[in-house]
Amino acid sequence: MRKFREWWRRGSGLIWLSGATLALCLLMIAGLVGYIGVKGLGYFWPGPLIQAMTPNGPVLGQITGVEEAQGDDTAKVQFRVGNRDLFGQDYRWVPKTDLHAPSRPREAVLVERLEYGPFIGRIQGVTRDGATLATGPAALATIQGLLPESVALQKRIHGLEKGEVGGLNARIEALRLERRELEAKGAPAAKREALAQRDQALQNQYAASERRLELLRAQGERVQVTLAAVDGQTKTLPLAAIVRLVPANALGFLGKARVYGARVWEFLWDDPRESNTEGGIFPAIFGTVMMVMLMSVVVVPLGVLASLYMREYANQGWLIRILRIAVNNLAGVPSIVFGVFGLGFFVYALGGTLDALFYPGKLPTPTFGTGGILWAALTLALLTVPVVIVATEEALASVPRSQREASLALGATKWQTIRNVVLPGAMPGILTGTILAMARGAGEVAPLMLTGVVKLAPSMPLDGSFPFLHLDRKFMHLGFHIYDVGFQSPNSEAAKPMVFMTALLLLLVVIVLNLFALRLRSRLRARMGGGAF
Amino acid sequence: MSRPATLQNRAQHLDRFMAWVITGGGMMIIAAVLGIIVFIGKEAFPLFRSPRSHPLALAALAPASALGLDESGKALMTLDPETGIRGYSVPDGRLLGQVQDGPALPWSGHTPLDARGHFAVQGQDGRVALGRIQWEKHGVDAEAAHWTPTVQWVGSPVAAPARLLAVRPVEPQGLEATAGFQVVGLDGAGGLVWGQAQDGAQDLAWTALPLPPGQVASCAAWSLDGSTLFAGTRQGMLYLVATDPGAPLQAQADFGQPVTALGFALGHTSLLVGGARGGLGAYQALRRDGTVLLQAFHHFQPMPGSVAGFMASLRDKRFLAWSADGVVVDHLTTERRLFAAPGQHFNLAALAPRGDLIVAANPQGTLRAWTLDAPHPEISAGVLWGKVHYESYDRPEYVWQSSGGTDDFEPKLSLVPLVFGTLKGTLYAMLFALPLAILGALYTSQFASPRLRDTIKPMVEIMAALPSVVLGFLAGLVLAPLLERSAVSVLLMPLFTLAVALVLVPIWIRMPRGFRLGWGSGREVAWLLPVILLGLLLAVTLAPAVERTFLGGDFRAWLLQRHQIIYDQRNSIVVGFAMGFAVIPIIFTISEDALSAVPRSLTSASLACGASPWQTAWRVVLPTASPGIFSAVMVGLGRAIGETMIVLMATGNTPVMDWSPFNGMRTLAANIAVETPEAPVHGSLYRLLFFTALLLFGLTFILNTVAELVRQRLRKRYESF
Repeated sequence: MRKFREWWRRGSGLIWLSGATLALCLLMIAGLVGYIGVKGLGYFWPGPLIQAMTPNGPVLGQITGVEEAQGDDTAKVQFRVGNRDLFGQDYRWVPKTDLHAPSRPREAVLVERLEYGPFIGRIQGVTRDGATLATGPAALATIQGLLPESVALQKRIHGLEKGEVGGLNARIEALRLERRELEAKGAPAAKREALAQRDQALQNQYAASERRLELLRAQGERVQVTLAAVDGQTKTLPLAAIVRLVPANALGFLGKARVYGARVWEFLWDDPRESNTEGGIFPAIFGTVMMVMLMSVVVVPLGVLASLYMREYANQGWLIRILRIAVNNLAGVPSIVFGVFGLGFFVYALGGTLDALFYPGKLPTPTFGTGGILWAALTLALLTVPVVIVATEEALASVPRSQREASLALGATKWQTIRNVVLPGAMPGILTGTILAMARGAGEVAPLMLTGVVKLAPSMPLDGSFPFLHLDRKFMHLGFHIYDVGFQSPNSEAAKPMVFMTALLLLLVVIVLNLFALRLRSRLRARMGGGAF
Repeated sequence: MSRPATLQNRAQHLDRFMAWVITGGGMMIIAAVLGIIVFIGKEAFPLFRSPRSHPLALAALAPASALGLDESGKALMTLDPETGIRGYSVPDGRLLGQVQDGPALPWSGHTPLDARGHFAVQGQDGRVALGRIQWEKHGVDAEAAHWTPTVQWVGSPVAAPARLLAVRPVEPQGLEATAGFQVVGLDGAGGLVWGQAQDGAQDLAWTALPLPPGQVASCAAWSLDGSTLFAGTRQGMLYLVATDPGAPLQAQADFGQPVTALGFALGHTSLLVGGARGGLGAYQALRRDGTVLLQAFHHFQPMPGSVAGFMASLRDKRFLAWSADGVVVDHLTTERRLFAAPGQHFNLAALAPRGDLIVAANPQGTLRAWTLDAPHPEISAGVLWGKVHYESYDRPEYVWQSSGGTDDFEPKLSLVPLVFGTLKGTLYAMLFALPLAILGALYTSQFASPRLRDTIKPMVEIMAALPSVVLGFLAGLVLAPLLERSAVSVLLMPLFTLAVALVLVPIWIRMPRGFRLGWGSGREVAWLLPVILLGLLLAVTLAPAVERTFLGGDFRAWLLQRHQIIYDQRNSIVVGFAMGFAVIPIIFTISEDALSAVPRSLTSASLACGASPWQTAWRVVLPTASPGIFSAVMVGLGRAIGETMIVLMATGNTPVMDWSPFNGMRTLAANIAVETPEAPVHGSLYRLLFFTALLLFGLTFILNTVAELVRQRLRKRYESF
């Protein structure tokens, strides 16, 4: 006891207490990143399909959750039963005591399809043009054989819809606007006639494309697959509607790994389905990257110019000191305030003026007078410019005086010194600032919600139709995807795993960017031997 | 010889040019960045501009006894018992037409025109009709010069003569029904009577409405559904009378001076009352516990003269009142006077439905008119920061409810619940973050081994970079349901961890001193990680038993029954935790910098005098670095105040005012994110959201500036060592 009192009196206990707070912090960070990682990465691994008897008939599905007994509630098991079109909901809670005779039937399959979420059940048969190709478990191999071709066909149809038909649509719309403008101006009849002819030609082309698409679609409908749910209900759907068949219980480790790989690939590179709860998030990745790029293009020159002025050219008096504090403090201003500014200034004031000047034909449909990727990028550029300024100023200050004086003594002008001595020396710092700004920009969502992000963008800001870079278009964003699918989606339970994966991706982007910046900075500091407070 | 000179020249030109570019560009960029606040301020400013009005020159009219304005304010309509109904264009006063049909002239009387252009007339032959003014607008011509006034007439049954006070159209409902009207008047003896007519009916019978003895009615107004009407008396009383003969008198109130005019603000809920001494007030009928109450809930500045009538705007809650000695426009919610002009023996006045034009006339037909520019009348300092008595509320309250389902909705724009929510969220975040961040920083700077420090610092920097949307998502979709199910485990965790630690301490201090110093000091964190995990494990396994034994098996039910506290799934604890997570790294980094920068000479002196490491840290290092920690807290506060996504996702966003940790809140920042996309551009709500953005900007800017100044002073102080 005496020993303990001594130990306590010296404050060792409090040292341990302060250590405990830190340990708690570290545990929380690790727990958070780990939780998202496990949840996100685990989602694509094909889990076993469990069949069990309950008093209300059999259930078949993946077990997605277990709730222990608490108070009056008994322990419950959550099944993902799929078949939203037949059962009405994807998930079902079953009391643990009601489950009997659990098994893992080898013939059970999970069918990923274009609509209504996954189908979980058994394959009954497959037909082509009404003639039976195979029935029962043997049909699985037949379908697996036909599937690649079918998927390729769907890709082609999708490509045609987006490329050819979409392009034609855009041209017809442009023509319509041109005609409207001419009519408003009262152009000669001959000119209008010519336009009408061009319009007719486009309409014919459009009809021809549609016919070709129709043929291709019919081809996809030829093979029909009949599936049976666990309660005996059957469902016949065309092969074209099937994305992937996963006979989860029959697959070995390698087979599962292949499914896993295919799913991750789809997630990264495909378009979303079922209002963002399935498929991929490529448009969101692309939108995020594109927006951050645009932002960087704007923010780096602005930030470097401003810090060159403050550090190299301005009189280091009280005014510049106040300005410096003010600019630094902008980094602490809430991002939503920048969002409000972006909406009021860029979208309504600037965008509205641009529309009135350059796109009067389209009004009242706004072109730049509504949220878009350009406005979002500019808003975030304002938000992140203090980050670049602070980092650049630090870097400029760390270029040794001796080097500048050497350059000036050799007769170089001030600008030549800056260009050839100061800027190269400060480059790692500027780069650090840029990367930190990019990381901050990639993670911000609140200002984007006001300036142009949408849950589902019909077309990307960069595509094959003139002028290729569409700065007025709305875009999708990883962060907003998380908010929207997790909180605004009607089926947020089914979408939750997807959100984990998106969150993991966003986290990875931000963490990698930050680690990179940290490494750069520590190397820079080691080289310069300086340190900031 | 000449070549080097040109080169040098060119270099110097370039130098001058670049100096110019960088100076100009840099200044412009800084100005643009600081221009943000100017722009936001500029957008918010019109909210607080006082209303402006300009007199208009108008031509004279023929004398009239009722006046109304068209929706666009381009045409004017008068009624007169001798000359009937006439339309004039504004402002040139050209006669646009005279309505020929309707009860034969001259009339024996008529009601005033209401804001929607309804009135009732009674002819010499006793016929009563409801008229509804309409304008034939030929084509889409915007010029009023070509309009013709017409009146749609409903019913013309014969009735005994009476002085008509107010009329209420009855819209046909169902297939068989016909249009009709209800009218109230004073019979020959001065008693209050009412009657109902349908289109095509032959007779209209007056039914007497008894008032208490000694009360003589002077004016009346129909309630929205026509089942009751409000009557004012010369004795200064207000009565709510039902047309149902069973229980005619429903409620009463004392106005204090003879009632001379009644009217309604937009929405037909607030009864406007004017008195003989210029008193202006608003009353509402509240049904509480089966009884009806006539409650005075707004009082306006009195006006000169005896109030002669009211007319409401059809856009917002402003209304016009006039007397022989003046015309005023007041706003119901704010009780603000938007417009006032001295009278010139006016007997009539009208307010355009948009509320932007006021016309008044005297018995000779001389007109005066004013335009009124008051785009945001519903905003005043009182509304934003004070309790306001809103329509159908029992008492004045702080409410934020910016939009409703109907056009006549009264916006409730108190910022108090939002500021309260912001403070509440910040408080809970700080409660969680401050001890963790500051103690953690103290440990890292004073006790941790250099290797440990090198792993901690980048981890905390990563923590700072976590996107808030990810934190919000985890808080809202993972933590909130988890906490709902196992709140007890979470609350017990610190206790169990402490218990585990207390068990282990005696073992630890019996270890050899060399082992403790060699393996313990600087590496405490590594030893503590398993201890905390063990505590967590214990808490999770034992919580159900604890809950069963002490809390009746269900924490939430216990909370509700024992303490009447409702447990919301997305509550302040969740927000505090998630937002604390976002704030910890900021406070940690800045405090750690300040603590590490404490000059070594100070700590060495303390240790040399025999103080233990903890005493040195607590009594010497912490006080010395306290300004730095203060500035860290300031910056952390700024971050918590402005945090948007976490609050948006982890609370229910309900603007309640309650400190309970088990329910949510709505913060200023989340409110901006929720409402701005829907707010009509340049409307009151839009500008008010800009104003809240300005508030946030100002608040965080001040906090950060204070923090920066404190830090700079601290740096100077350390330099002297």
